[in-house]
Amino acid sequence: MACRQSSAGTLICLSLLLLLLLSTCSGLYEDQIKKFDWRSVHLGALKQVHVDLNHFQPRVLLSTHEQVVASLCPKTGEIIWRQVLEQKPRGDIKLLQVSGFADDSSDTAAAPMGSHLGFDMLTVQGHAPALVRGWNTNIGTIEWEWSIMPLHTERAQDAVWFYSNSVLYHVVPVWRSHIEVTAYFATSGHTTGSTSKIMAAWIKPESCLLSGTFYVCLDGKQLISLDLVAKSTQVIATPLGAEPSSKIQSLPGLNGLLIVDKKLISVNKDQAVCSELTSASYLVGSFNLRKVLAYADLVDGVLKINAVYVDNCTPVPELQQSVAFAEDFGTPSLRSFDCKAKRNGDGKNCLFIFATSAESIVAVQQGRVRWAREESLANVIDTQFIDLPLADTEGTLENEMKGKAVDAHSLNSDIASAFMRRITTQALQMKSLFLHVIGLGPPPTDTQKAGLVRDSFGLHKMLVLLTRSGKIFGVDNIAGKHHWKLYLPNVAGFENAEQMRLIVQRSSKHFPLQPLCAIVAKSAVNSNGVLFRFNPITGRAAESGLLQLDYQIKQLALLPETEEDFVKGILILDGTNRVHVEPKHATPLAHGMYLYTANVKTAELEGYFVKYAGGELSCLPIWNVRLGGHNSEQQIIKVASKNPIEHVHSQGRVLGDRSVLYKYINPNLVAFVTQAPDAAHKSVLNLYLIDVVSGSVIFSMTHRKVRPPLHIVHSENWLAYSYFNDKVRRTEITTIELYEGNAQANNSVWSSLQAPSMPLVERQSYIIPTIVEAMRETITERGITNKHVLIGTASGGIVEMPWHLLDPRRPISSTTQGREEGAIPYIPELPLPTENYINYNQTVARLRNIYTAPSGLESTCLVVATGLDLFVTRVSPSKTFDLLKEDFDYILISIVLVVLTSGSLIVRHLASRKLLKQAWK
Amino acid sequence: MFLKVSYLIIVLLSLLASGRSFLEHDSWITIDLHHSLSSSRPEHFSHRGNISIPSLNSGLSTVVQNPLTDSELESVKILAKQNGFYRLRATVIYPNGSSQRFLTSSKACSLLLAQFNDVLWISLDPNGYVTGITAAQDPAPQSTECSAEDLQQINEKNFSSDVIIRHAELAPVPDTGSFIQKFEREREARERGEVRDNRGFFAKYWMYIVPVVLLVFISGATNQDAAK
Repeated sequence: MACRQSSAGTLICLSLLLLLLLSTCSGLYEDQIKKFDWRSVHLGALKQVHVDLNHFQPRVLLSTHEQVVASLCPKTGEIIWRQVLEQKPRGDIKLLQVSGFADDSSDTAAAPMGSHLGFDMLTVQGHAPALVRGWNTNIGTIEWEWSIMPLHTERAQDAVWFYSNSVLYHVVPVWRSHIEVTAYFATSGHTTGSTSKIMAAWIKPESCLLSGTFYVCLDGKQLISLDLVAKSTQVIATPLGAEPSSKIQSLPGLNGLLIVDKKLISVNKDQAVCSELTSASYLVGSFNLRKVLAYADLVDGVLKINAVYVDNCTPVPELQQSVAFAEDFGTPSLRSFDCKAKRNGDGKNCLFIFATSAESIVAVQQGRVRWAREESLANVIDTQFIDLPLADTEGTLENEMKGKAVDAHSLNSDIASAFMRRITTQALQMKSLFLHVIGLGPPPTDTQKAGLVRDSFGLHKMLVLLTRSGKIFGVDNIAGKHHWKLYLPNVAGFENAEQMRLIVQRSSKHFPLQPLCAIVAKSAVNSNGVLFRFNPITGRAAESGLLQLDYQIKQLALLPETEEDFVKGILILDGTNRVHVEPKHATPLAHGMYLYTANVKTAELEGYFVKYAGGELSCLPIWNVRLGGHNSEQQIIKVASKNPIEHVHSQGRVLGDRSVLYKYINPNLVAFVTQAPDAAHKSVLNLYLIDVVSGSVIFSMTHRKVRPPLHIVHSENWLAYSYFNDKVRRTEITTIELYEGNAQANNSVWSSLQAPSMPLVERQSYIIPTIVEAMRETITERGITNKHVLIGTASGGIVEMPWHLLDPRRPISSTTQGREEGAIPYIPELPLPTENYINYNQTVARLRNIYTAPSGLESTCLVVATGLDLFVTRVSPSKTFDLLKEDFDYILISIVLVVLTSGSLIVRHLASRKLLKQAWK
Repeated sequence: MFLKVSYLIIVLLSLLASGRSFLEHDSWITIDLHHSLSSSRPEHFSHRGNISIPSLNSGLSTVVQNPLTDSELESVKILAKQNGFYRLRATVIYPNGSSQRFLTSSKACSLLLAQFNDVLWISLDPNGYVTGITAAQDPAPQSTECSAEDLQQINEKNFSSDVIIRHAELAPVPDTGSFIQKFEREREARERGEVRDNRGFFAKYWMYIVPVVLLVFISGATNQDAAK
């Protein structure tokens, strides 16, 4: 009755009630926090770093390529604080300057600490506007900020900054013309004078850099340089012996020093150079109040660190050390080092920080790796959940079952032999059990030692993460432990901004065969295809490991499992439209496959039919579709197909009048979204649903005055996508459901070539009061559980949105039909209740993608959200209906059972005695 | 009166939202059809006919198609035996003279079983440019394989094609208007105090009826005890 009195109205009340009744996901209890989930926090690939062990609070200050500024604990590598700054290009960190660590020689060595310079640390970000910020490095807060807006924003893109003697210099190169240098007081942002223009027709993009105060360009066999702070603008030419084979690098810490082909070259006459050194990476630092030049090289898996004094090039024996360096770190480059000054200076307290090609941050101290951070996890591009292998006993049992199955086929189940087999396997089992008990059994395998054994509910899996740098991780999805790491150097994503792929070729179901995963990538060397196959449980290369293909990869598809080794072959369409199958013995299975390609730029789709005849594969183009409009102004911005492992349990939907509306479940349906600017409607977004086997456009819809970011989920017979509405300036979600109608054309096998051509399309749009960053549907083993849509928001939260709320059939006027169907009356705005945030306060910074996978339990779906951080959890959209509550009272129920049984026995006895007595009466 | 008007608006709005969108600028196109009948030479296309559509909005079309020659019919039958594809190449010519090529395929067998009756679906984008052309036959429910005797019986050589134009539809926008109207209407009704309770008698008064019935039952039971 409270509803009547409230001013919100009965309708709201009714819908709220319905919501309460229908919303199946409830928040966690307080004691469940971090019980089912974990988060790992990352920073991104290292850009600039400063170790400072002599501060009252020792710290490692760093900036990364993910626009993050952070401070680490030098002892453990844990994050003391982290600030995730603006996205590129606005947030691009151009300079990180820690007070007392200037490139200028005057205040490098043993410069006084503290903030007499007016700042602790400053950063310069972006180019238009350029933001200069002063930081409190103890707690990670911004203390002051100023910004400048350059006159020519496009020129300022290539601008570089340097700091010298409390003055911040902004250097804008105008290619092949001149350099504009403006000096600002670092803390206030006032200019020290007017912008000076230095004529320099020799500057070219790609070959110039800044070394200290020197602007240096490579010009064939010589270096041309200019001191930007000198009174006279004298151009210095430094000849080189030969044209350098790699890019020139600057050496921070020494003014005008460059690294050319692993050698040091000075363009500064006042700066001495140890020119006889050869090393992959150099660094300048101070040791025992003297300037030293440290250098490090990786030789046969051992990292050798050496150092020389800068003034006389004599070695520093205290700093010399060699460290065993794991292969999966990639090639290291020395980025920063510092030694604790107060001890006697034996070099034991020096900490060296390395950034590696696999985007790890490695700290070396006293001849060993002190800690390492895996920052490539800030760019996860694909994930897979792999079932863990069976325990030994279950494995033998499985084997026996398999043997039986084979027997049934071949021997037509000879009873005697089957019985013998059973007896022998059971005897063997008993023996192994006995041996296990007395401790003489076979030693447990590595995976078993690590606790990697399948649990009864299939919740414990190996999470394989593929990162953009080519590093692959095998992570425990419950504990978050990194079980193995692999690094593939020289791999890259494909054209069309397509990322590398992680493919499961064989699952764990085929015991004793090991599961097999493959990574398909492009070689960074010659842009041909690369295939790397490995065991996802142990992380070891399998089936000859890395395979360099001699063709480019245009499209790939998975084939069905082969008979003999249960491997799903990979069908590859190469750049010249020929088809290949890897592994080769799966080639006959490619017959009758359909492939399609989509060109993002021209928005053209092409369909192919793959034929295997006479031992050769051929492919025939069978259809094409042009979504580009007349002048190909439309570009494909998203392609969304369904999850191939999806099961649809319910074939239809029961309507109010008890008739069934059958779902249009076409596994070959793919959604394409194109976008183009439009004269009349500002920006037009088109959605096409295309059957990629027959090439027919099933449905198309157009949005006016709408623009990306676009995120889409496509599952079962529905589709939901979010976009930004430019007209009303808000994010909206449009949902579509496809139905065949009241009759089903063919309920056993789907054929796209004989499909009902026009499904019924239900559609609706909703307002979502947040910015959507990622969307994904939940998936379960058999598809019985309700589908929810996981929506990642810009603030790092992940909202679990029931499909009931996104349903395009929500009736606008509350009719009885809608109510009987179980549809909630239409409300334009979608609710985002806080208890539906599955990651409560564990926000995922820069959320980019959400991946889902079924667990062994029908009710539960495993979720991993990736971005800068990694968040792994599980959700149960229809609650855990197949699992007892964890606080289930086993003792109480057993007591009740025992009491009831014994009670009934006693009562029976008493009753019989009473009956006997009555009979005697 | 007000109710009626608003209902009318809702109906009109929903019609606009869900109804087919038509092109703002109607135009005409012609389509040249070529087909590939030989399995040995998949790149060879021969002329099948042409279609002219004078108005994309009205969707009416004139279809002129050549009958198949005997040898062509034979090659289609061979294709059908091999379970091959009958491939159709359509060249769309726009009023400004530019042209675009489209390719579509169907199983030669189902084309034969459908006696060369097919439907050409022409999908348009919102500006009236063709996105795709699909030739489809009515699904033959009885068989999907072509047996030799089935093929023997087919002597039809004339194509008979229907052309259906599929327009891009306009996407729905969040329907805030009708929601607010509905809300307002209910608020007004409440203020005027005319919330008509149209629930059934039992649904309305069950909370009074149930205790009474219960009381009656209980008292009946006690009376029985007393009567004993």
